[in-house]
Amino acid sequence: MGLLTDPTTGQGKFIKILLKYYSYACMLLYIGGVIWFLALAYPTMNANTYFSENALLPGLVKSQFREDREAARYHEELLDEMNKYHDSIPYSWLLAKFNQIGLDTYTHNFTLTSPFNRKDKFSGKNVYGILRAPRGSSSEALVLSTPFRPSTSAHPPTAPSVAIMLAFAKFANREKYWAKDIIFLITEHEQVGVQAWLEAYYGVSCGSENILDHGDLRGRGGAIQAAINLELHSERIGQMDIKIEGLNGQLPNLDLFNLASKMCTKEGVYQTFKNKGPFYSRKPSKEWLNYFRNMLSMMGTQATGIPNGNHGLFHRFGIQALTLEGFEQSRAKGSNKIWFVGTGRIIEGIFRSLNNLLERFHQSFFFYLLPSSDRYISISIYIPSVCLMIGTMFIKACARWFKLQETSCKEMSTETHSPPVRIDKIITTFLVTHFFGVLVSNIPQFMSRYITSLSVYETNVKVFYPLLACLVQLLFIPLFIRMRHCRKSMELLNILAMLELGTVLICISMNNFSLGFFCAIISVPAALLVNPSSCRICSYFQRFLWFLVHPLIILTVAVMINTYFLFPEERMKEIVIRGWDATQQSVIFSIVDSMVYGNWLYGVVTNIFIPNWLCFWIVSFCVFKEDEIDTEKTEDITDKDIKKTN
Amino acid sequence: MKCLIVSLGILFICHLVHSYEGTITEELLIKPLYSEQVYTHFQFSTKWDIDPDKETFRHSPLFPRPLGEIVQRFDIQELHVTLTSGLWRYEKWGYPVKDAATGVEVLAWFKPGSDVDKNWKLLANSLSGLLCASLNFIDNTNTIKPEFSFRPRGILESNLLNNSYVRYANLPHEIVCTENLTPWKKLLPCDSRTGLASLLNSGHIHNTRYHSIGLHLRPVCRDKSCESMSLELQQTVSLVYDYLILGTKNWSLRKLFGQGINRKCVLVSKSDVYVDTTNQDIELEPPPDETVTSVRGGQVTTLQKYIVSNQFLNIYAKFQNADLVSLNLPPPLHANQYLSGYGQERGGIVTKIYNNHWKQIDVVLMQNIPWFIPIYLHTLKVTADGRDIKPIQLRYIPARQRERPTYLEVLLTVPARTATSVVIDFDYVFLKWQEYPPDANFGFHIGSAVISSYLPVARNYTAVPWDGSLISDSFNASRSGYLVEVRTENLIITLPTPDFSMPYNVICLACTVVALAFGPLHNITTRKLILKSKRKVLLIERIKKFLFSLKKTKTE
Repeated sequence: MGLLTDPTTGQGKFIKILLKYYSYACMLLYIGGVIWFLALAYPTMNANTYFSENALLPGLVKSQFREDREAARYHEELLDEMNKYHDSIPYSWLLAKFNQIGLDTYTHNFTLTSPFNRKDKFSGKNVYGILRAPRGSSSEALVLSTPFRPSTSAHPPTAPSVAIMLAFAKFANREKYWAKDIIFLITEHEQVGVQAWLEAYYGVSCGSENILDHGDLRGRGGAIQAAINLELHSERIGQMDIKIEGLNGQLPNLDLFNLASKMCTKEGVYQTFKNKGPFYSRKPSKEWLNYFRNMLSMMGTQATGIPNGNHGLFHRFGIQALTLEGFEQSRAKGSNKIWFVGTGRIIEGIFRSLNNLLERFHQSFFFYLLPSSDRYISISIYIPSVCLMIGTMFIKACARWFKLQETSCKEMSTETHSPPVRIDKIITTFLVTHFFGVLVSNIPQFMSRYITSLSVYETNVKVFYPLLACLVQLLFIPLFIRMRHCRKSMELLNILAMLELGTVLICISMNNFSLGFFCAIISVPAALLVNPSSCRICSYFQRFLWFLVHPLIILTVAVMINTYFLFPEERMKEIVIRGWDATQQSVIFSIVDSMVYGNWLYGVVTNIFIPNWLCFWIVSFCVFKEDEIDTEKTEDITDKDIKKTN
Repeated sequence: MKCLIVSLGILFICHLVHSYEGTITEELLIKPLYSEQVYTHFQFSTKWDIDPDKETFRHSPLFPRPLGEIVQRFDIQELHVTLTSGLWRYEKWGYPVKDAATGVEVLAWFKPGSDVDKNWKLLANSLSGLLCASLNFIDNTNTIKPEFSFRPRGILESNLLNNSYVRYANLPHEIVCTENLTPWKKLLPCDSRTGLASLLNSGHIHNTRYHSIGLHLRPVCRDKSCESMSLELQQTVSLVYDYLILGTKNWSLRKLFGQGINRKCVLVSKSDVYVDTTNQDIELEPPPDETVTSVRGGQVTTLQKYIVSNQFLNIYAKFQNADLVSLNLPPPLHANQYLSGYGQERGGIVTKIYNNHWKQIDVVLMQNIPWFIPIYLHTLKVTADGRDIKPIQLRYIPARQRERPTYLEVLLTVPARTATSVVIDFDYVFLKWQEYPPDANFGFHIGSAVISSYLPVARNYTAVPWDGSLISDSFNASRSGYLVEVRTENLIITLPTPDFSMPYNVICLACTVVALAFGPLHNITTRKLILKSKRKVLLIERIKKFLFSLKKTKTE
């Protein structure tokens, strides 16, 4: 341990080693990172889940829920009601039921203005009832929510979850052990409804101004500790899937997931995560593959930053939330199906455990990956994989910097003439690219706010094509940079870009590991290969390679592959057309998400990734005269000279 | 012999009663609320015809002596203590006889000329012992001197009384339970064996949605002429039972309290039970002794009166039409409070005041905000229906860290039929690590705000007027205004909480660093360092050397 050794001793040696082997080191670290990641799914690298919070006492009480007939009756009545209202929420019926049960009942109105057309307004109505806890004083609350889907909805129906929610409310209101208010929330318009309700509950706006008018709530229940979202598609449940991925890749506390998972197991329903139940195999390779697939599937959802259920919007407010999605069909062979009694008891078990909580969730993990519903990978295990990959950026930047220092030293001694390095120009270039990034990120808002005459056109014409045009124009930026003839300036810009990329990737992977990881695995090798070089073929190859990792190209490729797997029977041309349409849609959706929910994916890509990409793009267009290479060649000779003199 | 002792005892008690100048009354009001609850309010009043300024409390025959000592020693003019669990839901239940905030509330007026700050602290500690509650946590860091919100309820001898003699504190996190009820019952004249107090079984009264016990002490006029003073002590218990938890809408005393009234307390001059049957189709069993109709502020109330005799009494109420749901008309003024914002950087405290009356109402909003929530007065914003409202008066004393809380009083005119919101922003701050409670992640409480006002109508109003002291005094007591002190919810705020397993990790890390540093340090200080020229060894040579060494070890 060289804790107390002089840091300056032997520096020259280290630098030499670094300069000599940095490219190998980078390669090695990158491969190491990938291998580490692959190993995560191996059972020795992950651990069994466990309860960290003792106060939960899951499943310790005897289930008393017996309101299954009531639930079935509510279900029948609701289906009748839904036939009367084809595309809206039968709120009068719901209000009457909540009132009958004896809850404090309220409605909540909200309005969404279309982000791209100010004249289009959509209004919605949420209905909620609050069970006032006999043992509490409305200072803490739990939420049981369900999205209401009218019969015309494209999504699978959720009427059974409304029925079971009402039956559970009826059961719970008779009990005297509740210490936290329970809010029964039925939302309209999927995620917009929940977002509006939460914004109204906390009196804040998360997205852009004047997009979502969240209205006001009359009844509240104090600090919300946890929320369970129900999406039951049938009266009989053969498989219960737990969904956890939230907005911007936030996850609920692992204890809540464990709790839900344990209660499902207790009631004997086949419980899954990402549509896969617990899996055991004697073959380690098979087990690994299974875990790995499941983990990738979770990371895929997490990386998009789009919540895969209404639970995902609670996370921002510090509320731990997950969705229980029930399917009638089960993947497991010979698994039994549970009826309303079983689902009711799952909910009862979860809520009684949550009722036991004294402190809010703080014990278990908030950052984790799940290869299966009963195993987890903690942040300390998975973060090295991405750190190894991103570390290469810093190592290369460091090495390049030292190299630059050495050559300038030599130049001083040999007095060769080269164009002067203009730091101010480099900084300006760097800032200008970022300025363009900010411009690009604001194009959609600008287009929608000021150019109202375009409202006749479709959204993709209005938003996507201007965006695309901007991005294409930005490709020509290197032609306007005159200092690309100076090798050293280009080197400096390259170092700056590498440092930025490394820092950004680390920050992203701290918040949303999946996104950070996928970005790193694609962009890091390409960034390692981009160097200011004089070789024409190398330069063209670099440009081509770096063009391929443009965020839009990556998105297009990803969407195309997805389309190919979704519609394998179609011909290539149709797939391409479909894929291109889907790409446009996905860009527009990410803009809408950023404006309504405050999803930061679009902002990060346009404000940071595209400018950074442009910096590297400029570097790849570097052209410099041959005589500078001579100095590079002489480097080795002078190197030996220095050694000799030593 | 036995007979003799008993008769002597009776004689003694009779003597006591006669030598005691004053009256003891006990009353019980049972009021089915609009929604699914029934409200019961006990009131035990002890009126002692002495001059509280002159009496030494050495001889207190029926007045609880511990309380008498407190009054005398700490120069107390008036004292109000309530211990409450649950929240009074004004919107659904109307107004209670005595308003009380969740947790503990203490309000005291001291006599002019006394050392108020010292007495206040001593009073809190004495009450803490008297009621077995953590009132000893009341100190300067949570005490305020409200100027407008509270007026003395009793009579005043001098005009010297101003807000420098009043102290108010609340402990929102205090949990009220049986251990507080038992010492409270000990202060009653007949304990809990006979009279209405026999209904107070802790097993039953804690199964309620709301329960509040209180002590209210004040000087009152001895008679109409008001030439001399008396000391009045009111002991109150308010309970709200839920029909759903009871299992049936038809209540009886036995169902509510576990038993009926077990004889009359002999020391009590008046012992009555009132059942409010306004707009309720209730059949009472046994039939009431008297029917009282009260008209107060335009509100007609029908009450059935039972006079507790020396016999066992169990009142049974049967709803004729159990499915009938009466429409709930919310009271003229109610309020609630919540936190706005998310994250742990900035937030806001929002108090919403609902005025359901057709005319504007003047209110006083009082807030006692703990010092660890630094609020910004310039962010105070009062709005109703999107319009800004200018407060009439504002009293504000900013908090000083670890010394005093933020005191804020706002006088407002609340427009008719609107919800007025009062918003004030604050910052989240870190505390010192020792200041976090053991359950650090539970969060911290902010006590309820108090909204006081004189209401023009007496809808849903049950409180006793200030010139009366019995529940029966509230019948036909129309006044120009009806004082309400609406309490809001407590808030739980999650301050940035450090990871308390961190000190352990830090200790481990620090120890490791020290252990690792020790080696080189020891080496450097104890060994002599000699420079040695180093020959460059090629990698191949090194490998050779290593292989040789392996070979050697093998041959050995």
